Amino acid sequence: MTTDDSETRRRPARSHTRRRFLTATGAAGAVALAGCSAERVDDGGGDGTDGGNETDGGDTNGGDGDGGDGGDDETPTLTVATYTNFIDAPSVSPGEWLKEEFESRYDATLEWATPDNEVNYYIERAASGAGIDADLYVGLTTEDLVRVDDELDGDLFAEAGEFEGRDRVRSGLRFDPFERAVPYDTGYVSLVYDGTATEAPETFEGLLDDEHAGALIAQNPGGSSTGRAFLLHTIDRFGDGGVASDGDGEAVEGADGDPDYDYLDYWADLQANDVRVLGTWDDAYTAWSNGEAPIVVSYSTDQVFADMEGADLEEHQIRFLNDQAYANPEGMAVFADADEPELAREFMSFMLEPEVQGEIAQRNVAFPATDDAELPSDYAELAQAPADPVTFSYDQLRGNVDAWVEAWERQFAGN
Amino acid sequence: MTGAEDDRVTGAEDDRTRGRRGRAGRLSRLREGWLARLRERVESRALTALAVLTSVALVAAFYYPTATVLIEAVVVDGAVTLGVFADVLTDPFYFGELARLLSGESPVAVTRSLASPDRRLGIVGFTAYQAALSTVASVALGLPAAYLLARFEFPGRRTLRSLTIVPFVLPSIMVAVGFVATFGENGTLNAALAAVGLPPVDLMFTLEAVVIAHAFYNAPLVARVTTAAWESVDASAVETARSLGAGPVRAFVDVVAPQVYPAVLTGAALTFVFTFGTFPIVLALGGFELATVEVFVYRLVRDLSYAEAAALAIVELAVSLGVLLAYLRYEARSSTSTRGARPLPRRPLVPPTPSLRELLPRAGLAAYAVVAGVVFLAPIASMILASVTGGDGALTLDHYRFLVERQQTGAAFQVRPWPAIRNSLLFAAAATLLALPMGVVVAVLTTRRYRGRTLVDAAAMAPLAVSGIIVGLGLLRGLVFGVEIAGWRIAASGAVAIVVAHAVAGYPFVVRTVSPGLSGLDRSLVESARALGASRARVIRDVELPLVWPAVVAGAAFAFAISIGEFTSTVVLATGADAYTMPVAIERFIGRRLGPATAMGVVLLVVTGLSFVVIERLGGEHRGI
Repeated sequence: MTTDDSETRRRPARSHTRRRFLTATGAAGAVALAGCSAERVDDGGGDGTDGGNETDGGDTNGGDGDGGDGGDDETPTLTVATYTNFIDAPSVSPGEWLKEEFESRYDATLEWATPDNEVNYYIERAASGAGIDADLYVGLTTEDLVRVDDELDGDLFAEAGEFEGRDRVRSGLRFDPFERAVPYDTGYVSLVYDGTATEAPETFEGLLDDEHAGALIAQNPGGSSTGRAFLLHTIDRFGDGGVASDGDGEAVEGADGDPDYDYLDYWADLQANDVRVLGTWDDAYTAWSNGEAPIVVSYSTDQVFADMEGADLEEHQIRFLNDQAYANPEGMAVFADADEPELAREFMSFMLEPEVQGEIAQRNVAFPATDDAELPSDYAELAQAPADPVTFSYDQLRGNVDAWVEAWERQFAGN
Repeated sequence: MTGAEDDRVTGAEDDRTRGRRGRAGRLSRLREGWLARLRERVESRALTALAVLTSVALVAAFYYPTATVLIEAVVVDGAVTLGVFADVLTDPFYFGELARLLSGESPVAVTRSLASPDRRLGIVGFTAYQAALSTVASVALGLPAAYLLARFEFPGRRTLRSLTIVPFVLPSIMVAVGFVATFGENGTLNAALAAVGLPPVDLMFTLEAVVIAHAFYNAPLVARVTTAAWESVDASAVETARSLGAGPVRAFVDVVAPQVYPAVLTGAALTFVFTFGTFPIVLALGGFELATVEVFVYRLVRDLSYAEAAALAIVELAVSLGVLLAYLRYEARSSTSTRGARPLPRRPLVPPTPSLRELLPRAGLAAYAVVAGVVFLAPIASMILASVTGGDGALTLDHYRFLVERQQTGAAFQVRPWPAIRNSLLFAAAATLLALPMGVVVAVLTTRRYRGRTLVDAAAMAPLAVSGIIVGLGLLRGLVFGVEIAGWRIAASGAVAIVVAHAVAGYPFVVRTVSPGLSGLDRSLVESARALGASRARVIRDVELPLVWPAVVAGAAFAFAISIGEFTSTVVLATGADAYTMPVAIERFIGRRLGPATAMGVVLLVVTGLSFVVIERLGGEHRGI
C-alpha cells in the first residue's frame, strides 16, 4: 500500500489517480477509449463529487504529510499550477530554478501544471465538479480573481492565512480584498519606442498629435493582457463615461478632470490618428520590430531583453505616459481543495524570501513584490519602473471590466 | 489489390488439389468453408462496423463535447430560453441592417438602408464579406496551379504537387512573421518595387493583406483538390469527343470542365467555411477594425460569457453549414459519370512547337508564377530568413543552436524540439490512418440515394464548421473532465484522445475529396461486382477506391496536414508535458525575439514538406485499373 501510494504520488496526475484504471475492454469503443480513464466517484455525503474526492485526497495526504517529517521515504508532492511562460520561455523563466531550489530545501517534490486555459481551466473544473488537481496557483491577476468570483459560488481559493514573510509584501501591491492571493512580482505596461525613428510623446494627449499619426501599435484588450492594461490605463486617465453603471449615473472619474471626455472619446481620437490594434502582443511586437510603426504597447522591462540579445538600446526606449504605467501585480493562492495546504503555504513563504524574490524578478523579467529582494545593483538601469504606477482595484474592476471592454469593441469595430 | 490477387491464387489451388486429399481434405474443406463464411460475414458487416466506429468517434470526440458548450446558448441558469439568441440576432453590431429586419422593422426601410453607401454590415455580415473575397482570391490563385500540376509534365512536378499543401499547416504567427517581412513597409515586395522604379505599396493592416493571407492558406487547398479531380478525368472520353469533331475548347467545356467543377466548388466551399471562422491572422495582419465573429467568440469564452459565445458560435455554424449544404445539393445534382481509367496525357512545359496556341497558356503560367512567387514563396522565404537573422540583423545560426540546446538541457516539464517532432509525426500518421476509413465510409454512405442524405452529409461536415475555440472548450469538458456514468467518471486525454480528435477534424477532407468521384462512378461497375458475389466492402476496396485513388491520396494528405497543424485541441488534450506537437513548441518558443519560434517553424516546414512527399510517393502516381 505504501509503495503503491508513493508510486502514484510521484506521477503527474496526483492522488486522484489512485483509483484510476485503464479500460482495456469494449471492442466498439476501443478506438475512442484506449486512452481513457475511469475513476470511481464517491457517493459519500451530500457535497457531490467534489467533496467526495476531497475527503479522499485528504485522508491520504493527512497521513503522508505528517509522516513526511518523520523520516520515512514518503516525499510529498506539491503541484503548482501556473502559466506556461513561467516555466518555459525561450529566454529565461523562473520555473526550473524554483523547482530545484525548493526541492533542495524542503523534503518535497514540486510538479508544475500548465493547463492552456490557465485559471479558467480550474474555474471550469470546479464548475464541472471534476475536482481540483493542483495545490496552488501562481500567476493570478486582479481580473482572474474577479472572474473566479463572478463564476463560482463556492471558494476556488483558500485564504492565504498566516505564514512567514507575508507581511513583507509591499502594501500597494496587495490586490485581493479577501486575502487569498499574495503578490510575488509585478510588471508595468508602458510604451516602447524606437528612439532612432521617433521621440514618443510624454502624455496621452501627445499621441493624438499629427506627428504621431499611425505611430502606435496596441493590442486587442479582449485577447491580450498588455492590450487590456493599456485600455484600463486610458480609463483611469479619462474616466469611463458611466458605460458600466447601468444608468445609475455613477461613472469612474478620469484623472484628466474632464467629465465630458471619457476613454471612448480618447479612443475615437486615437483611431482617427490611425492607431493600430492588433491581436496579441506577438503580433504587435513583430509588426513594431519590422518598423511598421515606431511605438508599441509593451512591458517596461523591454531593455532587459534587448540587452540580452545585443540589440541597440536606442531602438528600445521606454516611455511612461504622464509618468505613469499600468501595474499588473501577479499573485499566488492556495486552492481550497489542495491536498497539501501546509506545504503550499511553505512554498508561498519560500517565494517571498529575499534571494528567491530576486531570482523571480530576474528570471520572470519583472519587479519583486517585496522591498528586500536581492537584486544586482544595475537591475533598475534596464528594468524601469514608473514614478506613478496605476492600477484598478478588485472592487473597481468587478462588475465593470466586461462592460468597459465591450463598449470599446463596439465603438472600435463598428462595421 | 494485392490481397485480392492472392485470394484468387489460393482459390485456384484449392480447386486443383480437391479430391486428392480424402478425409483430411474434407475436414480442411469444412474448415475452409467455415473460414470463408466467417470472412464473408465479416466482410459484409465490415461497412456497418466501420460506420458504427466512425459514429462512436464522432460522438465522443466531437458531437457530445461541442454540445456541452453550444447548449449554453439556450439553457441559462438551468432554464431554457431563446432570449440570448434573440439579443444576438437583433443586435445591429452583429447583424447590421439585417438586425433591424429581424427586430421587426419594415423590409422596405431596411432594403433602402442596405442600398445606401453607409450601410452597416455588422460583424457577421463583414465576416461573410471578407470570406467571400478570400474565396474568390483563393480560387483565382489555386486554379492556375491545378492546371499546371494536372496538365503539364516537368521535372519535380510530383514533388511540387506534394508541397502545395505546406502553407496549410503553418501556424498563424509564422504566417504573420512572413507577411510582415514580405508585404510590410520595409518588406521584400517594396524593396523589389523600388528596385524597378515603382512606388511602394502599403498593404499591411488592410483588408487586402488579410485576403492575401487567406489565399496563402486556402489557394493550395483549391489547387490540390482540383488537381486530384483533373487527374481522374478519363482520356478516352476526351478522345471520343475529339473524334466526334469537337475542338479542344469544346472538348474541355463539355468533357473536362464538368468533372473538374465539383472539385473547384469543393475547394471554394471549404475555403469559405475556413475563412468565415478565421481568427488570429485577421488581427495579426488586419487589426481590430476587421474583427470577425470568431474574435468575439474567443473573447466571450475567455471572459466566461458562455451563453453569448455559444449563441454566436451557433450563428457561425449555421452560416457555414448553410454554405456547405448548398454546395452538397449542387454536388448531388451535378454528378457526372467517370471511370478515370486512363488519365489525360500531360504536356511538356517546354512547347514542342513554338506556335501561338502552345505559347499562350505557357505565358499565362509564367505570369502566374510571378504572382505565386510573391504570394507563396516570398513569405515562406522570409520566415526562413527570419530564422537565421539575429537581434542585430546579422546572419546567425543561434536560433537553431537554441533548439539543440533546449533539446539537450531542457527540463522534463519544458517543451523540447525532438519529442514535438516525433509526436507530430506519430499523431498525424495515426490520425490519417483513422481518418481514411472514417472518411471513405461516410463518403460511401452519403453517395447512396435516400431522403435527407445531404443533411447527413452536412452533419458529417460539422467538424469543419464549428468554431475551434468552442470545440476546444468542449473537449476540455467532455473528454478531459469526463462524463459521470453510474458513479464512474470516464475521462480521456493524452495521445490517443489527441489522435481521435485530429482524425475527427481531418476526416471531412477525405469525404469531400473522395465523395464527388464515388458518386460519379458508373453504377454498373459496382452492380456487376456485387452480382459476381463480392461483398460491399470488397467492391469498395477493389473497384471503387482504385478508380478514385488520386482523391484518396489527396484526402490522406489533408488529414495529415490538419493533424500536423492542429493546435487548440492538442493543447487541451495534451495534459502533462509529453504529448505536445510542433505547433505547440512554436507557440512556446515565442519570446521577445521571434528567432527560436521561427527556427522551430522552419523545422515544421521541412518535416511536413518531407512527409507530404512521402505520402504521395506511398500513394503512387495513379493506381487506376
